[in-house]
Amino acid sequence: MITFNINGKKVQGQEGWTILEVARWHGIDIPTLCHHEALEPYGACRLCVVEVDEGKRSRVVISCMYPIRSGIKVQTDAPRVANVRRWIVQLLLDESPGAPQIQELAKTFGVTPSRFKKTEVDFACHLCGLCVRTCQEVVGAQALTFGNRGLRKEIATPYHQRSTDCIRCGTCLYVCPTGAMEQLFPQVSAP
Amino acid sequence: MKTESQIGIFLCECGGKISNRIDLPQVDELLQYESCHLEVYPYPCLAPGLEAMRREVQAKGLNRILVGGCSSRVMKKKFTKALAPVGIEKHQVEMINLKDHVAAVHEATPQELARKAAALLAGGLASLRLLEPYEPVPLTFEGPALILGGGVSGFAAARELARQGMESVLFSKAQTPERVLDELHWTFPGCRIFCGDLGELLREVFTSPLVRVMPDQPIEYIIGGVGDYRVGLKQSDNSVTEVAGAAIITALDREFGPGNIAYIGGGERVCDLLDFEEKIGAGDISPGKVVFWVNSPQHGQAAQELAAVAAWRDSLLLARGHFQVSPTVLYPANAVLPLTGADLMEARAQGIGLQSYVPEVHPVVQSGFLSFVSPADNLEHEVEWDTLVVPGAPAEPAAKAQELIRWLPIYPENGGRLQKSHIKFWPDQIPDESLFFTGSAGGICDLNEVLQQGKKAARGVLHLREKALQGRLVSPVVVHVDKDLCEGCGLCTEICPCGGIEHVKPGSGPVPRETDNHLCSGGGTCAATCPHEAIKVVNNTAQQLEARVKAILARMEDHEILSFICGWGGAASAEQAAVKGLTYPSGIYLVPVNCLGSLDPSILSMAFLNGAKGIMLAGCTPTHSCHYHYGVDHCWYRVSAMKKLLSLAGLERRRIAMGYVEVNEPEAFVRMVESHLDTLGKLPPLPQDDKTKARLWAIHATMHHPRVRWVLGTSLRRPNEKEFPGSQSNAVETDEIMLEVLKEEFLAAKILKALSEQPLNPPGIAKVIEEKVELVSSLLTDMAKEGRITLKCWEGGYPTYVPGKAQRLH
Repeated sequence: MITFNINGKKVQGQEGWTILEVARWHGIDIPTLCHHEALEPYGACRLCVVEVDEGKRSRVVISCMYPIRSGIKVQTDAPRVANVRRWIVQLLLDESPGAPQIQELAKTFGVTPSRFKKTEVDFACHLCGLCVRTCQEVVGAQALTFGNRGLRKEIATPYHQRSTDCIRCGTCLYVCPTGAMEQLFPQVSAP
Repeated sequence: MKTESQIGIFLCECGGKISNRIDLPQVDELLQYESCHLEVYPYPCLAPGLEAMRREVQAKGLNRILVGGCSSRVMKKKFTKALAPVGIEKHQVEMINLKDHVAAVHEATPQELARKAAALLAGGLASLRLLEPYEPVPLTFEGPALILGGGVSGFAAARELARQGMESVLFSKAQTPERVLDELHWTFPGCRIFCGDLGELLREVFTSPLVRVMPDQPIEYIIGGVGDYRVGLKQSDNSVTEVAGAAIITALDREFGPGNIAYIGGGERVCDLLDFEEKIGAGDISPGKVVFWVNSPQHGQAAQELAAVAAWRDSLLLARGHFQVSPTVLYPANAVLPLTGADLMEARAQGIGLQSYVPEVHPVVQSGFLSFVSPADNLEHEVEWDTLVVPGAPAEPAAKAQELIRWLPIYPENGGRLQKSHIKFWPDQIPDESLFFTGSAGGICDLNEVLQQGKKAARGVLHLREKALQGRLVSPVVVHVDKDLCEGCGLCTEICPCGGIEHVKPGSGPVPRETDNHLCSGGGTCAATCPHEAIKVVNNTAQQLEARVKAILARMEDHEILSFICGWGGAASAEQAAVKGLTYPSGIYLVPVNCLGSLDPSILSMAFLNGAKGIMLAGCTPTHSCHYHYGVDHCWYRVSAMKKLLSLAGLERRRIAMGYVEVNEPEAFVRMVESHLDTLGKLPPLPQDDKTKARLWAIHATMHHPRVRWVLGTSLRRPNEKEFPGSQSNAVETDEIMLEVLKEEFLAAKILKALSEQPLNPPGIAKVIEEKVELVSSLLTDMAKEGRITLKCWEGGYPTYVPGKAQRLH
C-alpha cells in the first residue's frame, strides 16, 4: 500500500496506479481530454497536469501517467497548475476553435482566442487520438491511423482510401469527444 | 453453475454523469429482493475500482458480474481482462448501459430513472442466472492439408507445407510441371517470364514425398470442419471416393478467355495475348513491329493494368529472346504501371516502346498503323504495327468454382469476384483463421502476389498445426445443436452465412447438424430460424433473452414500450445519441441483441403475452449493411408475421414496428423512438381480460409451431432476387400463403388453449373461441390425426377432445 496526499487529504493506493485514477476514486475531478477509461494513458493533451511535491522539489506532471509514490503531496488546483492548464487551453483553442468541448474549457478557464488562432477551420478534431487508439486497443481492427506530422497531422486511413478493415462498429464515433469523427466517418469506412 | 449463481452488481457513478441523473441508492432499494450483492463505485473501470471489484469477487465468492455503467462494446474488454485473475470469464461479465441508455438521454427525474435502471438491471440479472458452464472443445489436427481448386497458389502452399514437414494433397488438372507451365498463360498472362522460377517451385512440389498430386475430379461434397475435413470425389464410374484432411486451402484462379478482336479484323496479323503467348512458347513469331494495345476499358482498371504489365513482360521476353521484333506497349494513361527506374532503363536499352494514350479518345486502327492521342501533347500520333496484340478477356471465376462455392463459405460478388464470407467481426470475436482462400479469383492480380497468398495460407495451416501440437487448438463453443431435437431439415445450413453449420453428405437424409465453431460468427440467425428450436447460441440463448424481457416487463408501466436494438447499427446509434446530447422520452426500454436476425419470433409474442404495450426494433439497413448478410431481413418476416397475428387477434398491427439506422445516424434513431412512442401513445394499453390473454397465448403458441417457423425461415428464398434486391415473384400470393398458414395455426392454438382449460366438443370450442363450427371441426380432424389433440369420449352425439401428448405447451 502506498500512502500519499492529494489536496491535503490522505489517500492510499497500490503500485502502478496513477494519480488521476486515485484522485477520481476519491471524487477529486481533474480535467482531461485525451484520456478514456477503456484505453491506456496516452499523455497527449497535458490538460490533466497536477503539482507533485516530492519533498525537496515540486514539479508539474501529467496525472494520467504519473505513478503514485509514497509520501508525495499532490495539488490538483495549485496556481501553478491552473496557469499551465490555462496555457494549454489557450493553445488548443487557437488550434481547433470549433471543438465544443474546448470552448467549454475555455469558458471555465476564462480563455479567449488569441491573435494566433486558426481562422479557416471548420473541423472540430483536435487530434486527441482517441479514435485511433480505440480502433487499435479496443476493437483491434486498426482501420484508423494518424496521417502526416506536425501541422499537417490528421486522422486518416492508409492511402486515404475507405478502409475495408473497418468493421463499422462505431466505437470511434462513441469515444470522439468533439463529434469530428461523425464528419470523417463516411470517408473512413467502406460500406 | 446454474444452481449456485452469485451475482455481483457494480454501479458506476461516472464522476456524476450517472449518479447525478439516476438515484443510485434507490436502484439498490428496488433491487434488494433480487438476492444479489450490489456496490456503487465512483469509477469501477479505473484501477482502484477494478481492485475493489476483485476484492469483492473473492470475499463474496461472486461468479457473475453485472456492471451498470456505460457501453459494453467499449468497456467490457477492460473488465474481463481485470477480472480474469480472480476466475471470472468473459461470458460471466455483462454490462448494462446506464449512462447512454438512461442517464444521458432522458429528462425525467432521478427517481423515475432509478426505476428504469432497476428494470434494465433486473433483466441483466435474469439473463445471468441462466448462464451455463462453458467448456471449449479441444480439436485434433491430423492428416494432410487438402488443396482444392487447382490454382497456381496451391503449389506455393504445398511447397511451404512440405518444407515445414506437413503433408498435403493437391488437386490439379496438370500432372507434370511442364504441363502447368504450358497452361500458365490462360490464368496468368505475361507471366511466362517467370517460368524458370516457377518451374523450380513446381519440380520441388511434384518430386516432394510429402505432396500427393491428384487429378482434378468433380467434387461431390465437402463435409466436416477444422481438423477433420472430408472431400468426396466423383469418379468416372460414378462412385465416390473420400479424401480426409485437417485443413482446406482453396486455390482458385481466374481464367482469361479470347480477347475482343473481331471488330479489328486484320486476319492473322491481329491476335490476343493468349494466342500470342502460345506462339512465343512455340518460338513462332514473325519479325517486325509488335504493338501490344491495352484496349477494352469494359474489363475495369485492374484488368487493364494487369494487361499492360503482361504486355511489358512479354515485350521483355521478346527482346531478350532475339526474335527480331521491336515491341511497343500502348496503354491507357489512367492505368498505373508498377515499373521501377531500372525497368525503364532496361526498356530503353532493349528498345521497348512504352506509350500511354488518352483513354477518353479511343485509338483508331488503320492498316499498319494505330493512331492515338498522347497525354503529353494532346496531339494525335501514329504507331506502326505488323502484329497487333490485344489482351484476353477475364472470365467470371464463379462459374468455374460452382462446386466449391456450394460447400464452402465463399460467395460471388458483383463482377464475379469471389470473396470469403464478408461478415464483419470484431477481430477478437473469431479464433484463428481457418478458411483459406487464395488465388486471382478473389481479385485480379499477378503471379507473384498469388504465390505469396499461397505461402501465407500455408503458414495459416501450419499455425493451426502448431497450436494443435501444443494442445492449444480449441474450438470455442458458440453454437450448439441439440441432436435429439434436430430433425435434419437443413434450413440452418441453407441460411448460415458464415459456414459455421456444417454440411452433410448429399442424399444422406435427415441427419442432425454439426457446427464448426471456428467459422461460426455467433450471429444466431440459425438459432432463431430453427423450426424445432434445436439450435442455441451458447450463453446467449433465447431462454436468457426471454427471462431478461420478462424481468424488464415486470417492472415496466402500462404506457411504456420495449425495444430491441441490434448490436451494430441500433446499439451504436442509440449510444451515439447520448454522446451527442440528444434526448428522448424515457418510456422506451432498450434491449440489445447481437443481430435482429438472432431474435427468436417467440420472443416478440412472449413480450406481448407478458403485457408489453408495443415493441420497436432497430437494426441495420437491410442487406448491404447488415453484418450477418440477411439477419435483418429474416427479422422483417418475423415482425410481419407478428403484425398479421395481432390483427387476427383483433389488436392493432402498429403496436410493433421496425426501423433501420446506420452507426452514425443517432438523429434517425431518436426520430424513430419519438415517432413510435407517439403512435403508441394514441393506443390504449393491451386489454388484460381473459379473452385477450387467451388470444395472446395462442399467438405465442403459433410462433413456437414448427410449421410457422419453417415458413418464416424459408421466406427469403426469392428466386427472382437476382434482378434486384427484394424482387419477388407474385408478392401478394406469397404473402397470402403465409397468412393462410398463420390463420390455420392461430386457430389451432386457440383450440388448444380452450381444450387445455376443459375438455370440449366442437360446438363448445366454437363458442369459447368465437369461431364458426364448420371451420373448427374441419381443423379438429387434422389435429387429431397429428396427435395434437385426442378424443376423450363421445357425448350427446359430439366428440369431446383433450390436448394430445404430441403437443408441447409453452
